[in-house]
Amino acid sequence: MALVAVEIPKVGLVMESVRIARWLKGLGDQVQAGEPLLEVETEKSMVEIEAAVSGRLTEILAPVDQQAQVGDRIAWLETGEALKASPPAQEHAAHKAATAPGSSSPPLEPATSTTRDRAGGRLRSSPVARRVAAEHGLDLNQLAGSGPLGRIQLADVQQRVAAGAATGAAGPPPSAPGLSPMRRALARAMTLSNATVPQFSLERELNCTALQALRAEYVTLAPPGSARLSINDFLLQAIARTLIEQPAMNATFEGDVTAPDARLVPARGAHIGLVVAVDGGLLVPVIHDAEQLSLVELARRRQDCVERGLKGRLRRDELEGATTSISNLGANGPDRFMAMINPPQSAILAVGRQRDCVVAGGDGIGVRAQSALTLTVDHRVADGRLAAQFLARLVEILESREWRLA
Amino acid sequence: MAEPTLDDWRRWYYALCRIRQFEAQVQRLAGAGEIPGFPHLSTGQEAVAVGVCAHLAPDDILFTSHRGHGHVLAKGSDLERTFAEILGRDTGLCRGRGGSMHLVDASVGVLGATGVVAGNLPLAAGAAWAAQARGSNAISVVFFGDGATGAGVFHETLNLAALWRLPVLFVCENNGYAEFTARSEHSNVAQVSSFAAPYAINAMTIDGNDLPAVYAAAGLAIAGLRRGTGPYLLECMTYRLAGHYVGDSQQYRSKEELAAVKEKCPIERLRTLLLAQGATAAELDALGERARQEVLQAVERARAAPRPDPAAVLEDVYRSGALQSVPG
Amino acid sequence: MAQTFIEILRRALDEELARDDSVYLLGEDVAAGGAFGVTRGLAQKFGAQRVRNTPISEAAITGLATGAALCGLKPVLEVMFIDFATLAMDCLVNQAAKYRYMSGGQLTVPMVVRTQAGAAGGAAAQHSQSLEAWFVHVPGLVVVAPSTPVEAYGLLKSAIRLGEPVLFIEHKRLYTMREAPPDDLSLLPIGQARVARAGSDVTVIAWSAMVSTALEAAEALANSGISVEVIDLRTLLPLDMACIAASVRKTHRVVIAQEAVLNGGVGAEVAARIGADLFDELDAPVERIGCPFAPIPFAPELERALLPGSSTIVAAIENMLGATASGRE
Repeated sequence: MALVAVEIPKVGLVMESVRIARWLKGLGDQVQAGEPLLEVETEKSMVEIEAAVSGRLTEILAPVDQQAQVGDRIAWLETGEALKASPPAQEHAAHKAATAPGSSSPPLEPATSTTRDRAGGRLRSSPVARRVAAEHGLDLNQLAGSGPLGRIQLADVQQRVAAGAATGAAGPPPSAPGLSPMRRALARAMTLSNATVPQFSLERELNCTALQALRAEYVTLAPPGSARLSINDFLLQAIARTLIEQPAMNATFEGDVTAPDARLVPARGAHIGLVVAVDGGLLVPVIHDAEQLSLVELARRRQDCVERGLKGRLRRDELEGATTSISNLGANGPDRFMAMINPPQSAILAVGRQRDCVVAGGDGIGVRAQSALTLTVDHRVADGRLAAQFLARLVEILESREWRLA
Repeated sequence: MAEPTLDDWRRWYYALCRIRQFEAQVQRLAGAGEIPGFPHLSTGQEAVAVGVCAHLAPDDILFTSHRGHGHVLAKGSDLERTFAEILGRDTGLCRGRGGSMHLVDASVGVLGATGVVAGNLPLAAGAAWAAQARGSNAISVVFFGDGATGAGVFHETLNLAALWRLPVLFVCENNGYAEFTARSEHSNVAQVSSFAAPYAINAMTIDGNDLPAVYAAAGLAIAGLRRGTGPYLLECMTYRLAGHYVGDSQQYRSKEELAAVKEKCPIERLRTLLLAQGATAAELDALGERARQEVLQAVERARAAPRPDPAAVLEDVYRSGALQSVPG
Repeated sequence: MAQTFIEILRRALDEELARDDSVYLLGEDVAAGGAFGVTRGLAQKFGAQRVRNTPISEAAITGLATGAALCGLKPVLEVMFIDFATLAMDCLVNQAAKYRYMSGGQLTVPMVVRTQAGAAGGAAAQHSQSLEAWFVHVPGLVVVAPSTPVEAYGLLKSAIRLGEPVLFIEHKRLYTMREAPPDDLSLLPIGQARVARAGSDVTVIAWSAMVSTALEAAEALANSGISVEVIDLRTLLPLDMACIAASVRKTHRVVIAQEAVLNGGVGAEVAARIGADLFDELDAPVERIGCPFAPIPFAPELERALLPGSSTIVAAIENMLGATASGRE
């Protein structure tokens, strides 16, 4: 006799979370393998989930209306069978259309006294185990839990730490600290960007004369007590306007390029990220609906985001939703650089430092302040012409005197 | 006990008017929505407060009930700070923490009003015990309504005070009503002073709207207390001219009752007496007007006083700052 | 030379009466020695005025003590059984606890209410309760529950000198406990817990008679190689979270053991605070041990069946430490 976990399988290609809609069996009921056990509602449709094994439904963990993620354990079945050691569930290669009801559920891994949830499942771990694991840069997924229900406990983490120290092979060298969660998240994002997003770049030199003059003027024009305007505020407003004027650039690519349902998802406003350096890494707070904001409002929002970002007080929704970001490395930054796209965004503008350049113009040679703008674009979203149009318009706005100040 | 002079009576006439005006302002501002909670008015019962407190020294201790504004003023509390407390201001006697039903002014021996009927009867006995233990001839006085005789602790306290011969004066303002119910419906004992005999306590029932009568009876009782003859129960028959609490529309009284009530007004009665003794209407009117002005000015100052700072709301739960660390 | 809890308490009262002439003892039968003999001899020594008998009127005598405290005396009132505190609730909760706050800081109530709690074989439902949880819920009160004679001495003296309304909860079963007091017997701080036994595998938090029970359990578990740290809270209001935190950071596991009914007890407050303040230190959920939800019955086997003992604590700790993922709990 064994207890087998019932978990939410992946239904279709893209499935963030589902809503438990209806349990088709009650507590104590016998179920046969393949029999529908419950109905869940995905973004697209109602789907039945079948029992993978036969048994008696002994506990329901997710009641109706609760949200659940792929891999979440939602019930327990008590089987009469001896335990089988199956290979860990893969990424559920059943790529059926999500509208097909009754899609077969992938093989479920029976729970044994020593296994715990594998990839996609929810880990049980005690708070202190999580904390110490994070401190040592250990991935909890790599650990076996000796606590109740397979909970990873402090002793399990400490054992691994000690083993790592003893062999010197498993863990990082004692002198090198482990990866912080932020550093790890950045590494994952940039690797993903490099591997899955086809990126290309274009460059234009921006004549900063108008901007410099405007900044100086606006010091007196802006309402008293307003935040000081920075170049980033102008960039934000200019990008916002351009995104609205050229909506083809204000979209993100979703799905698998090889699948028929890959598509471009347009954004409903200009949501722009601003790359901010923080202790141990960087954050990209997002200013939503930037096209509705004046320069003064943008400055205030920017300051607030940066301040809270430095204190680690940004909410999750404030870090999501952008299609484009700005990366400005400041006055001591490089003359020009190429930034990497931050998935799932589709573009990023790298802003080189302002420097005096010798320029050839219609009326001879002169010196003026310039800044190199390098736009990196997701080639699945835009081709060269679209991107060039975007960059050209951006520069046009930035060199103009038409701004909404307050 | 020396006979009071005409000047004394004038002084007490003023004191009656002062309390009457104070309660009128409380009524007015409560009606205008400026006073939080439910203030209880003692309009019509002023003579009991003034007559008893005329015999009290600064180190005598006074406790009272939820209907205690008059007692607190008669004992000597500052008008403005008392009104400010009823308004809940930071300059109030209790910094806005107590309100109308919990007025405390330790500087003049007012150790407190309570909102729990009969709740502080034993505290008054305790204050008397402290005086006795210290060998001082200070006494303790507690005012309560006739409804308090229904509480068990009323009887417990009479018993204990009698046993220990504590110098406590129990003053019952019997206005015939407890909350909204006539006495006959909530007690089988019509006369409150009859509770004294079983405990072998001295007692008297008097007309509480007759200031000279209150003055004389209280004087007698208090003199005995200071000599150590044991506790005293003074029942003062009186009448409420306002409802049980501000907002109560007095539906439980007849019009005839209310007219008779006006005849019993202690201020009217003292006025009649003083006029017969040589005071003039003009000077009594002037006293009344002066009292009104004093109250009005104090009330305006109280209304302009600052409100308490919410940031200080956790202060003074304990005497010791170290104990303040209990999280909410 | 060993003294009993009662003898040491008496010594503390004797010394405080001698030291400060504003200290007065009162209560039912205190002049005769009190229901448990704590005050025996003190009326003879200090006079009937300083150590006074009262009638059976908990409400009035608690109010009397409160009024006297407002006027500068330091009454130490004995309420025979904590079960009878019910009769004194208005004075304790609505008057004494709130006087300082309601008066805006004008007054203090330097009063100690000595009472005793707990089951001791056949006293039954109305004389066996542990009601400390009611009082930790009242802002303005201080609640102390000593666990040994020496602890009681130091805590009672501090309580008398503290200047606040203190509920000092003794325990029936501790009255006959013997302990040899050290030469430098001294005051103990209110609001500070103590580590009664140091350990590293699990923290057991207890107070009053349960401290001894917890120490018994710790001794038994030591034989199995489990190192138990026992914390004696001493003061239940205010709680010493700093002491608890230091222990939890070391052991990462907590069992709270109380004699009182589990539901709504002090252990629940301690557990909630640990969960909130020390979440990332926990290796297991906080366990609470207490009396099941029933009044204390009269028959000895029934009473024994209810009261948590050292074996209950041992079982809880073994379960917490030795549990493996063998299916469901």
